[in-house]
Amino acid sequence: MFTIFKEHKGFGKQIFLLAKDELIKTYKGAVIGPLWAVVKPAFTIFVYWFAFSIGIKTMRSVSVNLTGPDTFTIDFFTFMLIGFIPWFFITDSITQGAKTLRVNRQFITKVKFPISTILTYTALSRLFVHLLLMVFMYAYVLITIGPSWYNLQFFLYCPIMFIFFVALSWSTAPMSAFSKDFESLIVSVMSGIFWLSGIMYDSYSLPAPLDTIMLFNPINFFVNGYRNCFLYHRGFYVYTTELVIFLAEFVIVFALGIFNYNRLRKKLPDVL
Amino acid sequence: MAEPIITFKNVSKTYTLYKNDRERFKALFIKPKHAKTNKALNNVSLSIERGEAVGIVGDNGAGKSTLLKMITGVAFPDEGEITVDGKVAALLELTAGFSMEMTGRENIYLKGYILGLSDSYIKEIEDKIIDFAELGDYIDQPVRTYSSGMKMRLGFAINVNIEPDVLVVDEALSVGDATFKKKCKNKIKEIISTGTTVLYVRQNASSGKDLFLRVIYLKKGTVMFDGPTDETLKIYEDAKAKAKKNNTASQTGK
Repeated sequence: MFTIFKEHKGFGKQIFLLAKDELIKTYKGAVIGPLWAVVKPAFTIFVYWFAFSIGIKTMRSVSVNLTGPDTFTIDFFTFMLIGFIPWFFITDSITQGAKTLRVNRQFITKVKFPISTILTYTALSRLFVHLLLMVFMYAYVLITIGPSWYNLQFFLYCPIMFIFFVALSWSTAPMSAFSKDFESLIVSVMSGIFWLSGIMYDSYSLPAPLDTIMLFNPINFFVNGYRNCFLYHRGFYVYTTELVIFLAEFVIVFALGIFNYNRLRKKLPDVL
Repeated sequence: MAEPIITFKNVSKTYTLYKNDRERFKALFIKPKHAKTNKALNNVSLSIERGEAVGIVGDNGAGKSTLLKMITGVAFPDEGEITVDGKVAALLELTAGFSMEMTGRENIYLKGYILGLSDSYIKEIEDKIIDFAELGDYIDQPVRTYSSGMKMRLGFAINVNIEPDVLVVDEALSVGDATFKKKCKNKIKEIISTGTTVLYVRQNASSGKDLFLRVIYLKKGTVMFDGPTDETLKIYEDAKAKAKKNNTASQTGK
């Protein structure tokens, strides 16, 4: 039941070292090195902004339907930017997270290793990149919107996002290690999930019942959550329905993760 | 009588052989019904006392590596129980499990933590390991810059210097040049003499048999014989000779 926690006990320092190691592996040998971590997302954001604001010319501003009488209007670029930053972390966490055990098979089939920590340290290395992007984004927010106490909610959303997607990989990574088809399934689905999440549009403003259905997509919880912090200046507890649905999903994902990890852990060395 | 350090109680291990990837995918959700299986170990029971040096012989596919993998904690049994009471050092895959971007020194700590050693203890044995591995200034370079010989030396040095309770050695192991090989052999002998439990997997029955009093002969996942070295080796040699004879007989008979 508590295998995962046992495996992490006393391994904290090593997890940090291995996360650092992972980062070096990703960016070594490149002239601008870690800057690639910023260049790639920046280019993606530019392309989307260009296509929708300049190309299609329809998206200049977004009206957001917050609970309450007034709507909130903001320029499209700022709206999109704040949604994209958590999205980069989420999409990498889901696709890379699923592949992690297969990629690091030498730690599973050759030596005794606390396997669940592999999922933690690779996620941690992605979190470092996320925090770097956050620095740039926050600089932009400070200039265009200005600081707010609500910004501090970031320190609530970000750790929960980290834990949520690590817990998700407890299910997906062993299953992907077991069957390559499962891994391909996840990667294929993720390329479409972007458009089913409220990154380019406001999920609250969809016609009923779609606006409610969208609450079941946990990605929306984080995307809207980041906007709560930096854009809407709204407490995380204000939209209760959204919060409750997410918390239920969190418990399910966490429990399923523990179940699947324990179920497949002992078979991993045989199938990899 | 001392407590046994390793006990296997009716241990069986079955590998499922999936016909294709679809079967594999299906097996994630429902238990496969008609999948082919390969029994690598079949109801193996044995116990090894503290300080014993035991050889293991057997042909390819006899289950030797599965047995060792279970002792080192890499693989797990389907049925039965295994208890290993102490630190296990394995001289099997010496270059595996290193983190390539970390320095040699950081890798010493990584391995140490995996084995559950404390910081202060690792600090104590750190110099011994570096000395033994003959790495010099390379110890603070990333492991990816090492030659394969250097990696093996480091892997060997870590495993023999953590003062293991159980040492698992595969004879087919190669550790670089002749001088270092000799050093390794001497070190293994030294470890045996200090009363560490040693398990030695041997392809070649006759080499180094003076090191053990007991040899286990595995065949197709079952223990065929477990007894004094000379006796077991004789049985093993006989079985091999017989198999060879049968083989040539069937070939000429065609």
